[in-house]
Amino acid sequence: MGPVGLRSAIAAGLVGAFASLYLALVGLTERFGDLELIGEQVTLGRVLLVVPPLVAGYVVTRPRVVAGERRIPTRVEAAFAGASTGAIAGAVFGAAVAFAEWFDVNRIREVFITVSPGLIEFVTFERGVAAGFVILVVIGVLGGAVGGALRASSPLVRTPIVLGASVAILLGLLQRIIPVAMRQLDLEPSVLYEVSGGLTIPAGVGVIAVTAGANVLWTRSGPRVRDRIRTSAREQPVARTAVLIVVLAVAAILPLLVGSVISEVLGTVMVFMLLGLGLNIVVGYAGLLDLGYVAFFAFGAYALALVTGATLNTTTGAAEPAFALGLNFYIGVWVVAALAAGVGLLIGAPVLRLRGDYLAIVTLGLGEIVSILTQSRWLQPFVGGLQGMRGITDGAIGGLSFRPPQNFYYLALAFVVLAVFVSWRLSASRIGRAWNAMREDEQVADAMGISTTKYKLLAFAMGGAIGSIGGALFAVKIGSLTPASFQILVSITALAVVILGGLGSIPGVVVGALVLIGLPGLLREFEEYRLLIYGGVLVAIMVLRPQGLVPNVRRTRELHEEEVEQDAWAKGVAEHEEAYATVVVGDTVVEEKRPE
Amino acid sequence: MSDAALLLELRNVAKHFGGLYALSGLDMQVNEGEIVSVIGPNGAGKSTMFNVVTGLYEPDDGDVLFKGQSVVGLAPNQITRLGIARTFQTVHLFPNMTVLENAMVGQHCRTRSGVFGAVLRPPGTRREEERIRGRAKEALEFFGRRLAGYRQDQPAFTLSYANRRRLEMARAMATEPILICLDEPTAGMNPRETLELRDHIKRMRDERGLTVLVIEHDMRVVKGVSDRVIALDYGRKIAEGSYGEVANDPQVIEAYLGTKAAG
Repeated sequence: MGPVGLRSAIAAGLVGAFASLYLALVGLTERFGDLELIGEQVTLGRVLLVVPPLVAGYVVTRPRVVAGERRIPTRVEAAFAGASTGAIAGAVFGAAVAFAEWFDVNRIREVFITVSPGLIEFVTFERGVAAGFVILVVIGVLGGAVGGALRASSPLVRTPIVLGASVAILLGLLQRIIPVAMRQLDLEPSVLYEVSGGLTIPAGVGVIAVTAGANVLWTRSGPRVRDRIRTSAREQPVARTAVLIVVLAVAAILPLLVGSVISEVLGTVMVFMLLGLGLNIVVGYAGLLDLGYVAFFAFGAYALALVTGATLNTTTGAAEPAFALGLNFYIGVWVVAALAAGVGLLIGAPVLRLRGDYLAIVTLGLGEIVSILTQSRWLQPFVGGLQGMRGITDGAIGGLSFRPPQNFYYLALAFVVLAVFVSWRLSASRIGRAWNAMREDEQVADAMGISTTKYKLLAFAMGGAIGSIGGALFAVKIGSLTPASFQILVSITALAVVILGGLGSIPGVVVGALVLIGLPGLLREFEEYRLLIYGGVLVAIMVLRPQGLVPNVRRTRELHEEEVEQDAWAKGVAEHEEAYATVVVGDTVVEEKRPE
Repeated sequence: MSDAALLLELRNVAKHFGGLYALSGLDMQVNEGEIVSVIGPNGAGKSTMFNVVTGLYEPDDGDVLFKGQSVVGLAPNQITRLGIARTFQTVHLFPNMTVLENAMVGQHCRTRSGVFGAVLRPPGTRREEERIRGRAKEALEFFGRRLAGYRQDQPAFTLSYANRRRLEMARAMATEPILICLDEPTAGMNPRETLELRDHIKRMRDERGLTVLVIEHDMRVVKGVSDRVIALDYGRKIAEGSYGEVANDPQVIEAYLGTKAAG
């Protein structure tokens, strides 16, 4: 079998088969069997049949060390190995389908409730089990061969193809969102999309071609463009400001372009950006793993409700809370942030001596305490217990309510921009350096004069303040609060946003929130599978790109730039050493100028 | 030596870990402007002494006085602010921060801008940031070309072993100490680098006015730099004096070579 052993082919094939089987058993395959992505034939369900053998074929042909040498398979070898792997995947999956048919689908259904006779019809392409088996093997062979061949191709070929296919699939998935947005812009959606379906075939081919072409152009001239941007950014601060203004301008007109459905999603994205930015200070800058961040989110939301005035839901109707201030939102939000900083100190104080895993567990407990408190009878007169509260301020200015999604977006954008600014300034300051040092080595930072107590507390306070603003905005956005919104999942999601984007990276938080909150928000069809997809995406990204999507630049400096400076430096040293000789006299070192 | 001001004094200091007495009844003094070397076989308690002086350990008994004031019970960062800086036996840098940033961290305890300064950047904070940068560069330039140029913007983990040691010393010097404690600064350096470092230790005192307390195994360095040598064994001081006196002390020879009678 050439460069790939039979055993690894079987192993990868089995994993591929189990992946197909899993997708089928949880119901993804059939549920999206007729979700057309491109034309009528490319449905998401079919893509899910092809992808497992393709990935198996890709994985199995990775370069490996044979007899001490790194062996990269040729394209033909790789395609063959991939095809064999895919054949195994297809055959095992096909056998499983035959077994299901024989065993009786309804009995399987008792455990896997989404399995139905329709699933078997779908995976056998309605041609019976025997023909279906053959089809599945053929799909496996083709998918595996493509996967193997892709792996053996140079990135110059591979990246455009993979990117083009991914973008086309993504656009196909967004078939309910993009046409609406296009209509908003007076564009005719039928240019790209079927009336009720995915991309038209010409549009699909076009998208793949354009994306691939753009990628090829970028790899050819990208470095030069990047260089020019970088040089001009360094030499002319104006250029950097200009880029920033363009980004802000796009952000400012976005809700007008995309309509209220997407604006609604963007509003949630913004709330999580704030949570991510706050948590990034605690975890990314100061290195304190906080799993109870929901505490600040809940505190911000409920505290805003109390300081601006709201009503409690009770079983007998509305009631006044035991405490209410009736402040204006724009004053209240700062009061909340200041109080949350105090809560940060309270949460920080007992965990000062803890590190790593222990800190994570204790903060997890503290977060849980806060979310249970919101449901408690004890606090019921204040926050309404399980019934929650409603009638929360909409932050209106002169009659302009900020509750409609498009308006809320602007309110949230203002706070996100502010939080980004504060995070950025903090990270590039004496405080940021202290956090950085503390994250790298707490004991040494202490020995170098940094009060670790003070800076841990400061991180909790700053992170708490920003997170609570996220909570306050969330309260404004939905107008009513129940404990259901403040569960541990919020902590996990915020942490996932930070880690996925890249610890300590502000653009990372922005991208992380867009990917983790924005995409699922747009793809409502997947609501019931959201957590499954979440988990899959997180695992994939952490394996493929452990430093995050947009890693902190300080840690991934451009090698190129360094080399130039290094050369210049080395030249200077060489000249110095040519001119001076080092002489060890007795046991002293002296430098003597060499005679010309 | 007698007329110089007493800077650091250890009085009857004891520190034990379970049944092991790392220090027992240690008395020693360091005067201002001195270079004092501490020698002794492995496990003699030299690094424990450093850890007690710099606040990483709290002594079980006795007192540590710096400028006449007890530092026992203070946090390491408070002691650093008082003017004692240190390096570690095994190099402990902040590996992912740049060389310059490592040195800038040293300036932390001499500066004060807080959250509002960081976010709003008033002129005072900008000036302070410039000063931090300037002082940090000055500390790096003490080692000449070794830590100069493009290296300052590279992450510390890219440095060679000897340069990591130098950077650790530069970082300690950036805290603007009165007393600098160097824990085996030449460990792992080649002979040429060792000799160069010996001159650096002298220059720390002569040019920067620092008092130096150094743990060192390389006797050429000890001989070359020390005003006074203190030998420790089993957590006690067994000899003190000039290099010549200590090197010929029978107890010291015994500590290094083992008991003659045993052979």
